[in-house]
Amino acid sequence: MVVADNLVKSFPVAGGQKRAVDGLSFRVARGEIFGLLGPNGAGKTTTLRMLSGMILPTSGSARLAGYDVATQPFEVKRVLGFLTANTGLYLRLTPRELLQYFAELHGMDRPAARRRAEHLVDWLDMREFADLRCGSLSTGQRQRVNIGRVLVADPPVLVMDEPTLGLDVISNRLILDFIRRAGDEGKTILLSTHYLDEAEMLCDRIGFLHHGRLIAEGTLEELQRRTGLARLSAIFLKLAAEGTEAAAPAGAGS
Amino acid sequence: MTFRRRVRTIYGKELVDLLRDRRTLIAMIVVPIFLYPVLMLGSLQAITVQTQALGQRAIIVAGLGGADGPQAESLAHLQYEYDRIRALEPSATPASKAPAASSESAPGDAPAAEVEDSAASPPPLQLSWTPCASVEEIEQCVRDRSAHVGVVFEEGLTFSPDRRNRIRILYDREEPRSATAHARLEDVIARVAARINDERREALRLPATYFDPFEVTATNLASPSSILGQILPLILVLMTITGAIYPAIDITAGERERGTLETILACPVPVIDLIVGKFLVVATIAILGAALNLGSVCATVYFGGFNELIATAGQGIPYGQLALILLCLIPFAVLMSAIMMAVCSYARTFKEAQNYVTPVILAVLIPGGFAALPATELRGMMLVVPVGNMVLLTRELLIGAPVGTSELLTVLLSTTLYASAAVAVAAKVFGKESVVFADVESLRSTFDRRLIQPSPRPSLTMALVVTAVLFPAWFFLQSWLQSTRGAENGLGALRRTFAAMPVMFVAVPALVAAYWKVDLRGAFGLGGASVRAWAGAVLLGMSSWIVAREMVVFQHNWFGMSDLAADSAAALERLLRDLSPVELVILLGLIPAVCEEALFRGFLLGAMRSGVRKMTAIAASAAVFAVFHFILAKLPVTFLLGAMLGWVCWTTRSILPGVIVHFMHNTILTLSAAHREWFSFLPQPQEGAQDHLPAGVVLSAIAIFTAGCVLIGRSAPKATGGSAA
Ligand SMILES: Nc1ncnc2c1ncn2[C@@H]1O[C@H](COP(=O)(O)OP(=O)(O)OP(=O)(O)O)[C@@H](O)[C@H]1O
Ligand SMILES: [Mg+2]
Repeated sequence: MVVADNLVKSFPVAGGQKRAVDGLSFRVARGEIFGLLGPNGAGKTTTLRMLSGMILPTSGSARLAGYDVATQPFEVKRVLGFLTANTGLYLRLTPRELLQYFAELHGMDRPAARRRAEHLVDWLDMREFADLRCGSLSTGQRQRVNIGRVLVADPPVLVMDEPTLGLDVISNRLILDFIRRAGDEGKTILLSTHYLDEAEMLCDRIGFLHHGRLIAEGTLEELQRRTGLARLSAIFLKLAAEGTEAAAPAGAGS
Repeated sequence: MTFRRRVRTIYGKELVDLLRDRRTLIAMIVVPIFLYPVLMLGSLQAITVQTQALGQRAIIVAGLGGADGPQAESLAHLQYEYDRIRALEPSATPASKAPAASSESAPGDAPAAEVEDSAASPPPLQLSWTPCASVEEIEQCVRDRSAHVGVVFEEGLTFSPDRRNRIRILYDREEPRSATAHARLEDVIARVAARINDERREALRLPATYFDPFEVTATNLASPSSILGQILPLILVLMTITGAIYPAIDITAGERERGTLETILACPVPVIDLIVGKFLVVATIAILGAALNLGSVCATVYFGGFNELIATAGQGIPYGQLALILLCLIPFAVLMSAIMMAVCSYARTFKEAQNYVTPVILAVLIPGGFAALPATELRGMMLVVPVGNMVLLTRELLIGAPVGTSELLTVLLSTTLYASAAVAVAAKVFGKESVVFADVESLRSTFDRRLIQPSPRPSLTMALVVTAVLFPAWFFLQSWLQSTRGAENGLGALRRTFAAMPVMFVAVPALVAAYWKVDLRGAFGLGGASVRAWAGAVLLGMSSWIVAREMVVFQHNWFGMSDLAADSAAALERLLRDLSPVELVILLGLIPAVCEEALFRGFLLGAMRSGVRKMTAIAASAAVFAVFHFILAKLPVTFLLGAMLGWVCWTTRSILPGVIVHFMHNTILTLSAAHREWFSFLPQPQEGAQDHLPAGVVLSAIAIFTAGCVLIGRSAPKATGGSAA
């Protein structure tokens, strides 16, 4: 469902280029939940943005549901739901209007968009606040609206960049339940997170990103076997240390 | 989903979103509704309060001696005479009763018109005396403002017929109270004098005409209006800008700050749709704001009866022109919206955007403020100064001054040109990856040459911005060159103009293109062309001048030619005859052919190849080409010429055949104007043919022209095969 092939993204910085993502290749099968882990600045966000067709890869290619992210960004965006913790809502619109707007942006005509918004309001139990402005909603209610927005076109692929960052326990639970339910429904999910217990709990497979490279990939058991450690947090620390060592001579050489 | 539907969806949502914001509503509706009435009432009140205060408050007069001295007595005498007149006149009654009063005192004879007018209702006079010891002390009193005026009766005050009363008044013209007091005293003296005149004349039974052989009525037709009339356009223009600022920030930087930009970019919507939708919303709000401002101005003036504050001669606001004023404000609102959006797109937060906007407003205030000066007129360079031209145009329309079609068009077209460049920049900036996900400093990535990727062709944005900057620059340069020397040296101006052309039209775009790493061959469309294209170009060059000439003659015969245009055409012809043929060919043939083709066809039209449809691109570049010639009468012909050359360039994918056509066209046309005798082999226009060439010549020219077009059209397939891909 998702195929990344030697993806590279470099950003221009003073005195040259910085490779935020450096030759990344991986695959995610249909219905799989794939977790991208890695320290700050590892390139997770950049990778997810490239896979969503929001920024262009410098080189390499990626396909999502068969569409090329570089040449068919709109097709890619059509089959994709994108969610991050700091995604904002239009605070002066009501949830109903907001959902309808995004439905229309996904190509539905007005009546269809209205029906879809209505359906989501019911389904996500937003009745009581569907006609209040988003600005006056609680964080939990806003998260529900956000989930509704992601599901507006019922996309087969979900891309989530640290979706639970900074949420309280209740909102956190809401998001995690949503991810689990979506996984059960057979959606393909790409997830980046810093909460390792979440990853442990949710992900079918985990990719470990460091300095823009994938330095380890596999199911939790595979990673445990490879490192001889049980807890993901321990594995994380070990891999990060290995990655830094591996990168050091290469970094000095370049 | 179509472009239009997406834009409509975005437009609708953004408009609702913005209009629900209290800040938008305040800026858009509340401020204009209250600003003007408050402004006008305030200034009106300031004026009336001042005059009333001055009129009714006692005038403090400094004079020689004490309050019971002879000087004070003379003043009291004067006041007594004045009060006597006031008692005879109808006090504070409408002016219509004044004649009755005067007929009572002067049967059969109307007093002089001037006196009658001002005698309508003489205001009461209150004086208070400040004793002084010397004239110097009086001067001092007036200077330190302890008295309004100083009055010295040189020989007291008597009304015997063989004496003239000499009165000295000391006042300070810069001090409003002093100036008003002086004016009042003068008025009092004039009234008393007029009354005494009347009485003496009556005593002698002389007619009123005996002393007043003249009656002069002068009507001031000058349009300079009062202070408000001058400032109002600036306020109107500024309010239009202000109207655009808040929505522009909210819709760009605000969206990024609230974290919704990423969401919207994850939707299947092209950035251009997004920016167009948003831009239309900003422009709508700016235009709505402009309309509300204008409406509020007019309502205030109309219901408040402030006409005199706007214009002199009691004309007031020309309500019929309102639609036109609004129409002019539309491209302006569009321009400002685009500029604001381009600027704000760079910002990550609301605060940052406000910081970026401030210098822009200052930059706008300079031409705007200059234009608001009473002495600035809507002509010459001011026609193309952004913002300044709009302030002036609004002022002229507002005070009901006549505005010529060509001035109006120049202002509108130049504003439209600037606006489209600004829109292109806004779209470019907004869609930039480095700006959207601005983790590094985004401005730098546009201007830091190391970060720029080479490209084969200039972007539309670059071409539009270069053209938009060149346009006023070229205009300034031309008027400057023409003004530096007198008419005697028209040749010099001509030479300098065409010497400047390569710099402006070729060097400037070439430098810009080189800096942004654009391939120069591509930038100017210097590719080779097929043999057919060359042959076609020669045929077009041979014949197009006749077609153009016939069109001009046709236009003159049908629409007439203004004397000005005829004069300047004749002057140009004389000028051309003074040039040597070689110079003529180089200056008027070669240089414009190369430079204009390079800029308008190579740079501008070339940039439009990706993304703009053929017909739109050709028409747009031809319009810009025509506007660059600055002469209204030539607009249709230059537009058509530009369209033809654009078509040639688009079809052959090179500017070179166009250069040939343009060169031949210009050369033959100017030579035939300057040296008619060389063209005696051609049958000349017959008598009564209104300057048209004989039909045979015209028809053959059309035939050759058509053949040229066919050849060029045939040269296309091989070349256009590439563009389809
Ligand atoms: N637009 C940009 N311009 C320049 N550099 C960027 C840009 N976006 C990201 N980077 C750099 O690329 C690297 C990878 O960033 P990215 O945001 O992908 O990391 P991340 O894994 O998501 O980190 P975090 O866990 O902190 O979210 C960082 O060093 C970052 O500074
Ligand atoms: Mg990140």
